[in-house]
Amino acid sequence: MSAKIQRLAEIDRVIHEPGRLMIVALLAAVEEADFQYLRQTTGLTQGNLSAHLTKLDEAGYVAIEKTFRGKYPLTLCRLTERGKQVLDTYRKVIKGAL
Amino acid sequence: MNDTSSRLLEETPEKIAGRLMQKAHNQDGLPEIAIGFAFLALAVLCWLPTAVQPRSPAYIAAICGEALLIPILLLRLQWAIKTVRRKFLIEREGYVESKPANRRHFAIVLVVALAVAVAGVFAAYRGSFPPASWVLGATGIGGGVLTAIAGRLPRFVIGGAVMAVTGLALAFSRASMGTGFAILYGLMGAMSLLSGCVVFLLFMRKPAAVEEGE
Repeated sequence: MSAKIQRLAEIDRVIHEPGRLMIVALLAAVEEADFQYLRQTTGLTQGNLSAHLTKLDEAGYVAIEKTFRGKYPLTLCRLTERGKQVLDTYRKVIKGAL
Repeated sequence: MNDTSSRLLEETPEKIAGRLMQKAHNQDGLPEIAIGFAFLALAVLCWLPTAVQPRSPAYIAAICGEALLIPILLLRLQWAIKTVRRKFLIEREGYVESKPANRRHFAIVLVVALAVAVAGVFAAYRGSFPPASWVLGATGIGGGVLTAIAGRLPRFVIGGAVMAVTGLALAFSRASMGTGFAILYGLMGAMSLLSGCVVFLLFMRKPAAVEEGE
């Protein structure tokens, strides 16, 4: 049991933050989503969401692509393979410890 | 955010995503408006056979229409909602591409729906349904429970409770199957349409957030 709890120290702090965990969990459930959808769904402010996405992008967990759909600017976000692996590990560690 | 944080610690990522996406799915009222129209159409198709000569062309057309409407709704309702959102509401709601549907799961749902529809048509044609009171009561309670569980929001729980109570009331009222279903679906359709329109108007009154260079 203590070994399992000790594994909590290995948790990836980038996705352990509640805002970023919401973003990663959402992106894991869809193919891709744009900035506006993530903002509406998570309830995060524009600034907060932007900062979290930048961190996830820098860590290589989320891929961001800027494009247009007609006149509407789309900032498309999708979870990378690395992001999927990290989320999977995170899920296992949390499940094992709780 | 504190409430969200404490909740996040108790949930798996799948549950978090499911809860957030369900909330987003119901934020504009479009699913309720679509379901409202579908229920009202079903109510008309249920009432029609009670108003025309049994086994007449109009009677058979109404029964077949009823049987066809359910699989069509299962197949196309989500698609219709998604199309309207992408065409007219993308600036307010944003863009999301769902994962491809699990084909096996989809095939099972389709086969079950078709089997239920065919059995319903057959039973209606032969007049060998169980007593109307049982069917109406079970539909009201089952539908109410499903509505409350699937919607996960207070207004769906209220709608589910109304459906269950209406089903039970109809079961004790000695109403015929057709009339009972017409009342049950008609009431649920009207309620769903009304609540969907209110939610849609409130959603449209909110100022749309413009995406800036983030």
